[in-house]
Amino acid sequence: MPTVTDALGGRVIDALGAQLRRVMEFADETEPPALAIISAMTLSLLATLVGFLAVSDLTIVPFSVFLAAAGIGWFRYQEETAYTIALMMTVSTILILGLIIVFIFRESIPVIRYESATVFGITVPGIRMFIQPEWDAVSPPIRYSMVPMIHGTVMVTLIASAVAAPLGVSAALFLSEIAPATVREVVKPGVEILAGIPSIVYGFIGFTVLGPWASDQFRTTGQGSYLFVGIVVGLMALPTVVSVAEDALSSVPESMKSGSLAMGTTDWQTMTSITLPAAFSGVSAAVLLGVGRAIGETMAATVMLRGVPRLTEPLVNVFYGQETLTSIIARNYGEADGLQMDALFVAGVILFITVLVISVGAQYIEWRMHKRLGGEI
Amino acid sequence: MADASQTDAKLVESETTETDAVAGVAVGLSAVLFSLSVAAMFERVSLTGSLLGLPTVTLLGGLLTALGVAVVAFGAGSRLGYVETDPDPSAGLVAGFGAAVPWIVVGGSVASQTLALGTAVGVVAGMAVGGVAFALTVLPREDVGSTLPLGSLLALTGLVFLTGVIGPAWVWELDWAQQAAITAEFLIPVATLFSALYGGWASAKAYGGFGARGRHMGAYVLVYLNALSIVAFLFILVAFVVVQGIPGLLNGVELGLGSGPQTTILGVSVTLPVSVPFVMNGVALFNDFQGVLPAIVGTVWLVLGAVVLAVPLGVGAALFLTEYADRGRFTQVVEIATNGLWSTPSIVFGLFGFAFLIPRFGNGKSLLSGMVTLGFMLLPLVVITSREAMLSVPDEYRDASAALGVSKWQTIRSVVLPAALPGVVTGVILGVGRIAGETAPILLTMAGGTFVPGSQTVDVLGSFQFTSAPPFVANPALLEATSALPYQLYALISAGVGASSNVGNADEFRWATALVLLVVVLSFYAIGIATRYYFRRRLKHT
Repeated sequence: MPTVTDALGGRVIDALGAQLRRVMEFADETEPPALAIISAMTLSLLATLVGFLAVSDLTIVPFSVFLAAAGIGWFRYQEETAYTIALMMTVSTILILGLIIVFIFRESIPVIRYESATVFGITVPGIRMFIQPEWDAVSPPIRYSMVPMIHGTVMVTLIASAVAAPLGVSAALFLSEIAPATVREVVKPGVEILAGIPSIVYGFIGFTVLGPWASDQFRTTGQGSYLFVGIVVGLMALPTVVSVAEDALSSVPESMKSGSLAMGTTDWQTMTSITLPAAFSGVSAAVLLGVGRAIGETMAATVMLRGVPRLTEPLVNVFYGQETLTSIIARNYGEADGLQMDALFVAGVILFITVLVISVGAQYIEWRMHKRLGGEI
Repeated sequence: MADASQTDAKLVESETTETDAVAGVAVGLSAVLFSLSVAAMFERVSLTGSLLGLPTVTLLGGLLTALGVAVVAFGAGSRLGYVETDPDPSAGLVAGFGAAVPWIVVGGSVASQTLALGTAVGVVAGMAVGGVAFALTVLPREDVGSTLPLGSLLALTGLVFLTGVIGPAWVWELDWAQQAAITAEFLIPVATLFSALYGGWASAKAYGGFGARGRHMGAYVLVYLNALSIVAFLFILVAFVVVQGIPGLLNGVELGLGSGPQTTILGVSVTLPVSVPFVMNGVALFNDFQGVLPAIVGTVWLVLGAVVLAVPLGVGAALFLTEYADRGRFTQVVEIATNGLWSTPSIVFGLFGFAFLIPRFGNGKSLLSGMVTLGFMLLPLVVITSREAMLSVPDEYRDASAALGVSKWQTIRSVVLPAALPGVVTGVILGVGRIAGETAPILLTMAGGTFVPGSQTVDVLGSFQFTSAPPFVANPALLEATSALPYQLYALISAGVGASSNVGNADEFRWATALVLLVVVLSFYAIGIATRYYFRRRLKHT
């Protein structure tokens, strides 16, 4: 990940450099009073940011200055002010991602120090969280291992992907290639609504209906199993897979499909030998994003799992569900403080990095597909 | 494409023969088996009971055997030339793998468990059996390859049920440290389900006469079934919550003039003609009926706050990216950042709010922190959808406006923004639907109590006040922890049975909360989808 952030950081610096040059040109072309207003806005907003980061009560002062400057600018030099505000808003999206990275990393440092261990004579910070499976926040030796939660997340994600990928791709094929217009008008909003059902409602149904049923069927002690959390999470990731895959499938040029149909193939042959191969990377990006959703799903897992961080025995025992990276945060934030809270931040960091890598990977795949199909990016 | 398949269907109809009818009956039989297995899985059909005068398991076994025999017979008939079909030389690798997987499972479990030969032998035997099935599918002509392995699998499953080798009382104790068992209650419906899918696939292929058209048929049966299941699943899910939630929601409902609580609308005091205590009360000792009003009001404020923060930021950023910025490194980085933010797990937003916002907003969980956290979550959605909307505004509009000699900002303000407005509005509404149901981020940033008294309903507008010390404006309501519907539901679930003393029937209370949450979230979706539909229709007409 450091290399990725470095690369990202390098890009940001390059981009900002280019932007700076443009700002200089912009300054040459703009009238001095407008320039003064814009500088006042920029400086006061920067001061607001600094004040906010420093937890200062006086943050309100530069912010009022910014509001006043923006107000004056809006009436006198609307063109320049609008440009500046839009630019600031754009920068804020990057800023938020940056703040998330900085703050969740910063909070997790103490426990990474605490969990240092010596491997082959070299002390590696944080490595003990990954080489032994004990999580014990109460009785010494106090250990914060991430292994049980990583195991749980992997199990849930595997099962969820096995549910979401085939069903999602098939539903996307149906929506973009097969369904008559009227059926599509019904099914497509249906899939969207499926995405809208709150995860806590899924979790509640899973907890009250599926949980007791599953523990009865598999004769397990107590309820909560990775199998059913995986299935529920898979159903929740389904709409993501469907909508992204459908976009990919319908971006295949119509001429390719018509060409194939003109050869006398059936619709299904066209789909399997033309449409799916051409949209393959887009469809895999859809599956990847679905996997990302499944990894990050919190509430259904929290409510349905047992909440005891340990490995299942044996490891493939999907009929018992202990804890995932997301659910341990949601379950323990209340009573946790000090090192334990920091350990929860480590879980957050692992989640964040995994999902960010998946997201960037999916974007790269999609971008390559668009380039290959010769469309606009 | 739809037209083409209709023509196909007509051609098939005109050639219908008895053999086609057999294949059609087989498809129907698979459908019956599929629905029976689903019903059995959810215990709508008892495995120990009887159906149509036969024990359920025997009936399932008999139907499976019949289906299997029909499929094999059709394949054999086609191979021997009694049935006119149009098969390819081979059924193909996909069908081969499809047939191999169940046979691997069957072979492996029979060798390792029934014959007690151990795991290693089980794996080898499974592979061997699967390999044979694969070869039998791929090597012969398609009519045999796509029927024989699957048909015999169906017949075998059917016979196992029919002979009572796996009866309703069957159990396989897994010898694991954490004890678990696979029971007949689970195995029989699941085995029937997959067998029915395979049977439907094989007989649909046969119905289409194998070859390209047969595969088309087989695939379409599965794809249609999948789409139908998704819609049915959604329908059942919503219906289930509604049925469970209605009793709690309608507790103590009164209709009639003057029965509802007094409220002020536009400065006029009005007595509502309807009283629904569940959504109009908080929780209090002397209430006849308890309710979730504070959580509803909390959700409304939360969503409003998030929208106020995220929509201007998001639309501004989208505007800059589409109208001002040239495509380059900077826009690429922003795009990656927004997509990254979009896929960031909600709980990570919660952690971020906990570490970043709480120390800055009064050092405690607060409504304001919740608003800002959700705003950050909404932001990428607004950016993405607004960008799409602005990109879809035709360049001719911009050129026409520019040709009038107005400045770029004037073009944006009076041409681009109005044209992109429908898309932006739809995107925002759908995004709001998503964040309104989020629990994880507010769990760490604004969560309040489990049962919230009606007196704690937040009143944001009424509690602004000016102070002498910086920051000069204070709003205690914004800085207090309050509840929201999704959090309240979570708290009710995790509080467990002990909470029931407070609200009478805790289960009813929970389901009613879930229903109110679902109604709130789905109405955002309904409005969003309706808006899109409306604008689309209007665009088509003009």
